[in-house]
Amino acid sequence: MAHSLSLRLLYLGLMCGKGLVFAQGSELFSQASDANKGPHLTGCRSSEQVTFRCWWSSGTFQNLSEPGALRIFYQTKALSSDWYECPDYTQTVKNECYFNKTFTRIWTSYCIQLRSVPQNTTYDEACFTVENIVYPDPPVGLNWTLLNVSRSGLHFDVLVRWTPPPSADVKTGWMSLVYQLQYRVKNNTYWEMQELESGTQQSIYGLHTDKEYEVRVRCKMSAFNNFGEFSDSVFLQVAQIPSKESTFPMALVLSFILIGVVILLIFIVISQQQRLMVIFLPPIPAPKIKGIDPELLKNGKLDQLDSLLSSHDMYKPDFYHEDPWVEFIQLDIDDPADKKNSDTQHLLGLSHSGSSHNLNLKNDDDSGRASCYDPEIPDPEDLASLLHNHSEQGEHQHSLVSRSSSANPDFQQESEVVETPIQTQPSWVNMDFYAQVSDFTPAGEVMLSPGQLNTSPEKKKKEEENEKKIQFQLVSDGAYTSETTARQFSADVPSSPGPEQEYQAFPTQGVEGNLWNGDYLVSVNDSQTPYLLLEPPPAPVLPPISDYTVAEPPSKSSFIAAYGLSAQPR
Amino acid sequence: MAQGSRQYFAVAILMCAFVSINGVGLNDLLDRASQLSDKLHYLSTSLTNDLDSHFPPIGRGMMPRPSLCHTSSLQIPNDKDQAMKVPEDELLSLARSLLLAWSDPLALLSSEASSLAHPERNTINSKTKELQDNINSLGAGLEHVVHKMGSSSDNLSTLPFNGNNLGQDKTSRLVNFHFLLSCFRRDSHKIDSFLKVLRCRAAKKRPDMC
Repeated sequence: MAHSLSLRLLYLGLMCGKGLVFAQGSELFSQASDANKGPHLTGCRSSEQVTFRCWWSSGTFQNLSEPGALRIFYQTKALSSDWYECPDYTQTVKNECYFNKTFTRIWTSYCIQLRSVPQNTTYDEACFTVENIVYPDPPVGLNWTLLNVSRSGLHFDVLVRWTPPPSADVKTGWMSLVYQLQYRVKNNTYWEMQELESGTQQSIYGLHTDKEYEVRVRCKMSAFNNFGEFSDSVFLQVAQIPSKESTFPMALVLSFILIGVVILLIFIVISQQQRLMVIFLPPIPAPKIKGIDPELLKNGKLDQLDSLLSSHDMYKPDFYHEDPWVEFIQLDIDDPADKKNSDTQHLLGLSHSGSSHNLNLKNDDDSGRASCYDPEIPDPEDLASLLHNHSEQGEHQHSLVSRSSSANPDFQQESEVVETPIQTQPSWVNMDFYAQVSDFTPAGEVMLSPGQLNTSPEKKKKEEENEKKIQFQLVSDGAYTSETTARQFSADVPSSPGPEQEYQAFPTQGVEGNLWNGDYLVSVNDSQTPYLLLEPPPAPVLPPISDYTVAEPPSKSSFIAAYGLSAQPR
Repeated sequence: MAQGSRQYFAVAILMCAFVSINGVGLNDLLDRASQLSDKLHYLSTSLTNDLDSHFPPIGRGMMPRPSLCHTSSLQIPNDKDQAMKVPEDELLSLARSLLLAWSDPLALLSSEASSLAHPERNTINSKTKELQDNINSLGAGLEHVVHKMGSSSDNLSTLPFNGNNLGQDKTSRLVNFHFLLSCFRRDSHKIDSFLKVLRCRAAKKRPDMC
């Protein structure tokens, strides 16, 4: 007995083990076509995890199609190992067995058999647990609301809401459902699927405004794979709102503003034309000559012009050196005899009256008029004659020199000698602006001579040392050369012995005589002035003073003279 | 006297705050626990699917019945009406008992998963490991819930598991692995259901949760 019981149990276990212990809904029941198959179970489902139903089909066996021919038996191992017949065959639905909540146990395995009782054959069997066959009802109350429309008016977003199926008890937490939303363009074949949603609403983004959409929802138990049926579809569509009217006034306003701005710019340009011209087209500055002020030319100040032009090194210094411009100034060489005689007479007369005065006067003249002409400087011969007279008188002249007896005859000769050259002196008279008047002609004309030396023996004494510097000083300043030369030539004289110093005035004149001989400038080497004095004046009249002219630096008036400009000799 | 009254007043305020915080905390704890159980159940389902994808047909016939699961002796509510009548602490203890009963078998499963004769071995292995972690965290969470609810923790049912290995040959090991996993899946659903019922029952003040 026990053996048969164990065998039966084993047999039952094997039979049950044949089927799937935790069969999925789809795998539980074969889906083969009914035509070639006998009676079989078509499916068992639960919608709320409280009750479940089973369906069968008779298949090709037509003789078993009448009700009651096939019967359902079930077994729940948890309670007992007995097979019980279906508690409730649904009246309205054919071939359906309904298990109410009293017969339904969750987390309990069920085995269902399809039997034909008269023949005692089992055509089909299926084992499952109820939670594995739960297919929730579709959600209800599907509706949608417009979230927003894009600025272009081509797209819009919606929010779809639904409520869980009423059969599913989600309030108590008995069932936890997840939902899946699908949408498509109407009459399209492809459904867009959204993510699983545990809530009861979901948004759809990016829908087109001119299309009609169809939306549906289905649900399943969370962590299970059995989706329920789809809900009824809901259709949504948003009309495309043309937004062109809003842009029209905007464009109008912008165009008006632009025109206003353009008019304003034109007005500004026209009103500020002058200033704008200055800014954009600045005047080109006129060319400037460096150093010359145009105002100078207007006013006619030639002095400044001369300085400007001459400072430009346009004129070489050699220019003046080379040109014997000395010759430009020609002095009238009249017969000085008449003049001299008259002057001599005058001087003599004066000298008799007051020789000392003359001397003093000469001294004074010498000091006072060092840089000027000395028209009143007596000729050397006059002075010589004067001194001679003095010597004849045997009077010591304080200033004038008293020569030695040996010198006297020289002097005598000198005076004689001196006389003649005096006449010829003015012939080559120089270039110097500060030519001195040497003699007056009876006609009243002035005879100029190059730089006359003042006859001041005292001064000559002082200037004894400057003998060598004469020539160079000649070079320095043409205007004053004559004076300086004269003085220093007198200084040359003291090279002679001391007692002759008193006679310096005469040697001076002797020097002058030499000068008149033409060795004016050559007297640098002349330490033998007395000898020079003795020399007859056979020397030809040398062309003046090329050295002198060389030494002459150009001056303003010289420039003017050279160019024949109107100028006044000084 | 003044100091004493002051201290009493401070203690009373602290206690009030603590109670209020705890009250809010229970709902959050249960919510967190139900989320974890949901994850647990989901993992077990995916594991089962991975196994079923390449399960040999012959193995199905040799599958042991679910009543042979070691946790089948535990008395649980079988339907909704019964579940609604069970008190919260009993539901919680049931959930915790089940959870406790599966710590050892899951350890065995995770150790056996690496050497399983299945093409999806690596995925199964990783998911089994994740399952084990999940169970541990859920167990710790439920401990907190128990303390929050103030129920005693000594009415847990012990469900011993006697299996040391899954089998000798690779086919039997695979079949036993599959069987154990199916048992666990059912039990994880139980845990999840119980916790969800608990959550909705505790959140009556906030109907939006359920």
